[in-house]
Amino acid sequence: MTAIGAGIAALACIGAGIGIGIATAHAVDAIARQPEADSKIMRNLLLGSALAEATAIYGFVLGILIIFML
Amino acid sequence: MKDMAAELVARLNVDTAFTIPIFGGIQIAESVVISWVVMAVLVLLSLILTSGMKVWNPGKRQVLAETAVNWLDGFTKDMLGPDATEYSEYISTVLLFIGLSNIMGLFGMKPPTKDMNVTIALAVMSIVLIEAAGIRRKGGKGWLKSFTQPIAIVTPINILEIFIRPLSLCMRLFGNVLGSFVIMELIEMILPVALPLVFSMYFDIFDGFIQAYVFVFLTSLFIAEAAEPLMPSEPKKKKNRKQKNPSPAA
Repeated sequence: MTAIGAGIAALACIGAGIGIGIATAHAVDAIARQPEADSKIMRNLLLGSALAEATAIYGFVLGILIIFML
Repeated sequence: MKDMAAELVARLNVDTAFTIPIFGGIQIAESVVISWVVMAVLVLLSLILTSGMKVWNPGKRQVLAETAVNWLDGFTKDMLGPDATEYSEYISTVLLFIGLSNIMGLFGMKPPTKDMNVTIALAVMSIVLIEAAGIRRKGGKGWLKSFTQPIAIVTPINILEIFIRPLSLCMRLFGNVLGSFVIMELIEMILPVALPLVFSMYFDIFDGFIQAYVFVFLTSLFIAEAAEPLMPSEPKKKKNRKQKNPSPAA
């Protein structure tokens, strides 16, 4: 049961993958529209990706907590 | 596979490095010792870069130091906004400390931020600074009143945010550093010669700096938000307007 719980906790990565993929798609569109703003766009993209990835990391931490504490 | 898992678990735990033999033995954890190493490196770097500074004819070392400090200063003041620029030195220090701690894996030592105690301490310092910035700007009563802004309904959410913000800051930093560390240990167990170099460019360096930047950016964003002046409240409507202002036609 511990393994099933940890496996379900790891499903949190789906959301992060989809979210960061969509964000990158819009960032690439924005760069294609206005190439001289690309450094600003890249900075915002990295920030948004790091914040979205935190949700996947919460899932990872929960998985580790489940394995080692239960 | 079993002893690989056992070795991984052994490396994940934070060991006690040594024990100070007073008061019945205070145990000093490994992460504290490596934090001392990070502090020593930063202090030595500062001392070397700022010794023998001159106003005219500055040497190359001084120009380098001035460029770095100016860049950090402008960067953090930009993030803090116009109302809260007095916290820029603390934010720069935290940025340098977390940035250097996260890439300690490159030098063969465990990063101190892999220990949850270190990240909890950093997050608690951040939330204390955020609330203190709010109290300094608005006074005690104004700070209490700011919980009911922008609408009174969101007051429980604002109160919960005092606990949720440091929790998310702590978990984000801890989880990223722990994840990078685990992956690098697994790669080193498979092939310790050339493969770790390629992957450590992403996991250790890139991820470490990005997480330091995100931690510092979020802290300064919350400080800037806490240091905004209170929104002015609605003026009370007067009831006897018609009697006080006689119409000019009368």
